[in-house]
Amino acid sequence: MPREAEPSLNEKTFVLQALQEKLRLDGREFDQYRPLELTFGEEYGVAEVSLGKTKVLAKASAEVTVPYPDRPLDGVFQISTELSPMASPAFEVNRPTETEVLLSRLLEKTVRRSGALDTESLCLVAGQKCWSVRVDVHVLSHDGNLIDACCFAVVAALRHFKKADTSIEGGVLTVYTPAEREPVPLGWLHSPFCVTWSVFGEEGDIAILDATRAEEQVRVGSCTISLNRHGEICQIAKLGGTAVEAIALLNCTGIALTKAKELSSYLDGKLAEDAKRRDKSGRAELLTAENDRVTG
Amino acid sequence: MTANTAPEAALGVLPKADGSAKYSHAGYTITASVNGPLEAQRKDEHPNEAHVDVIVRPAAGVGATRERHLESVLQSSLSQIILVKNFPRGLIQIVLQIEETPENDYVNTKLVQASVNFPIMPALFQTCILALLSAAVPMRATATASVVAIVLEGEKKKTVVDPTPKQLQTAQSVHVLAFTSHDELLLAESEGDFTVQEWDEIYETAKGICCRPQTRKSGAEMVLDEADVAGQADMRQFIRSTMEGKVAADLHWK
Amino acid sequence: METQSQSFVVLPGDAIDPSIIPTTKTKPLRLGPGLRHIPPSEIVPTVSGKLIVDPRKNSMWVEYNSHRYIPSQNDLIIGQIARNAADFYYVNISPYNSNATLPHLSFESATKKTRPQLAPGQLIYARVTLANKHMDAELECVSSTTGKAEGLGPITGGMVFDISLGFARRLLMAKSKDEGGLQVLELLGEEGLAFETAVGRNGKVWVGSDSPKIVIIVGRALKETDEGDLGVDAQKKLVKRLMRDMR
Repeated sequence: MPREAEPSLNEKTFVLQALQEKLRLDGREFDQYRPLELTFGEEYGVAEVSLGKTKVLAKASAEVTVPYPDRPLDGVFQISTELSPMASPAFEVNRPTETEVLLSRLLEKTVRRSGALDTESLCLVAGQKCWSVRVDVHVLSHDGNLIDACCFAVVAALRHFKKADTSIEGGVLTVYTPAEREPVPLGWLHSPFCVTWSVFGEEGDIAILDATRAEEQVRVGSCTISLNRHGEICQIAKLGGTAVEAIALLNCTGIALTKAKELSSYLDGKLAEDAKRRDKSGRAELLTAENDRVTG
Repeated sequence: MTANTAPEAALGVLPKADGSAKYSHAGYTITASVNGPLEAQRKDEHPNEAHVDVIVRPAAGVGATRERHLESVLQSSLSQIILVKNFPRGLIQIVLQIEETPENDYVNTKLVQASVNFPIMPALFQTCILALLSAAVPMRATATASVVAIVLEGEKKKTVVDPTPKQLQTAQSVHVLAFTSHDELLLAESEGDFTVQEWDEIYETAKGICCRPQTRKSGAEMVLDEADVAGQADMRQFIRSTMEGKVAADLHWK
Repeated sequence: METQSQSFVVLPGDAIDPSIIPTTKTKPLRLGPGLRHIPPSEIVPTVSGKLIVDPRKNSMWVEYNSHRYIPSQNDLIIGQIARNAADFYYVNISPYNSNATLPHLSFESATKKTRPQLAPGQLIYARVTLANKHMDAELECVSSTTGKAEGLGPITGGMVFDISLGFARRLLMAKSKDEGGLQVLELLGEEGLAFETAVGRNGKVWVGSDSPKIVIIVGRALKETDEGDLGVDAQKKLVKRLMRDMR
């Protein structure tokens, strides 16, 4: 496996020294994210996120399939994050590194296990047919903080996605093409976001948000908090690394909530903008066939 | 969805890769990254030349046999034009991420269409070439590709360039051809029923599109060939003007 | 024969009009980067860039920018010690590429007993002594003619930043302001900042100073000038903005 170059001694010493003087390499504050950009594709369910030089593309898609035998009333929902050498030559296809496994696990816990997507609404014919929704996450460029960027992209893609409309008459399922009936959005319950803190210093007393790759390589620990804008925590992961004071961790969680709210309003704004752009003729309201739903 | 939309390209879109390009044309959008020359892994290293590794990633789902086929076709053509002998035991790593494919509003997605590989090949090819140029990987020449199908219109057979998904479903045969900037045939893949005469016609059509003559005055000015063959964009000129833009930006200080 | 330099954009494989190739009977034609010679008389570009013909020096080359360094003899580079072997150090000069070797005794007044002990991860400023496509590159930290270090050797403190190869070449030009269009370092010095720099042709620039803040300002100025393709006016504005932001 091609090995990524370790940072030099000079770099390690300097980054820590600068942080101790409250300085980051790009001049940001400790709790400041890099400029976040979100663009939706022409197709429903395509979201491209860039966080500084980190770029992630998420694509949501759905197809009709057979539900799991032990869960006949639920649909299938999968998130796939296969890293390729496009993100960095250190990654190989089909050879998951620690980064890939952790990323995939965190997204799983944050988006799937927290029930963000209502899988019961994906059921079409109990025990026989259901929707299988999958989100493919492609990391195009890796400059640190893949977790936050990927989670944001996944949530954006799922909220943007529309699946084909269906109807059942006398046990026969009809799936309409986009030309026949407008596609419908997924059953969405709440929007979780990941906020990752990177820890530095022997005492673990310096914590920053949204580390770049250079900062990630020098950090001594990290903690990812997944939560939605209501303050409901999906998971907190601090996997090894230098011990951190409990009070500091609580402080980090508090700031994470502020960030989650910011991310949430940014996403809502972008979705509204996209809907307006597509709805130039003003007919979107007439075409939709669903009742109003209160979304989290 | 029409095949006559102008191609668009942006270079250097991935800041951490040695070279990158994002290309869209006829409903396809593909991003490619190029890294190299790197050190090849033991299993891939060749004592006298570099190994060219191509990875194609579909938009949805994980790659399967279809992607492996695209990878092997691209790898064998690109190995011919990249100067691999310059980097023994080296590796040129190319990753292609398919982002968008033309939608067919009359068919539900995920219905696997038999010849869906071919129409995407020219777009993949162009993206590779642009990304390799962006990374300044030494090459023998540049190349352009085009896809041509033979469809039945009533009783007559018609040659269609850049066929739509609908046309592909009923086409008699589909062909992808690529030519280098020296007008040599680099790649020829065909699928379906066709005669040798039909292939000759396809060859001439594709060559006419890919190898449009470009005149040059004393090495300074480029004269654009205004006549569009069958309404198709001049890919060679497109590559040239895209690179002229990049070089102008890179060397703005000179 | 043309007396002024010519330049235009070329793509790999383009035919070069033989009339622009300089010909003298006294000096052989020198081909620089980006061109290859196909005997007997064909010269073909291999990359996309500006073909530059200099009749006075009787040379031609393609000017282009890229990010992947390929070692070339006599280049000054910033490398990182990867590990120690019996008689030499393995030094990494380009990520994901094979390491170069630096003999233990290639330092000023080094003997087997009194050589510098460098730890893995240490940055060094070295010169390439051997580079060809079949072998791993070799380095030295001493001038083989004078026996003096002349600035080569381990680099302490400071921070190293990644830059494009073209930018590194511009920084290393003797008259980087006039020929390279770079005034940013001069402007930073005028603002009263005290710092030193070392430029590696392998796309790395080291910045050292007593204050980390100054190192960061200089590093950011260089990176943003490189990534933004900034001209001299834009460089002036950049320096003003950075000085303001970091106060």
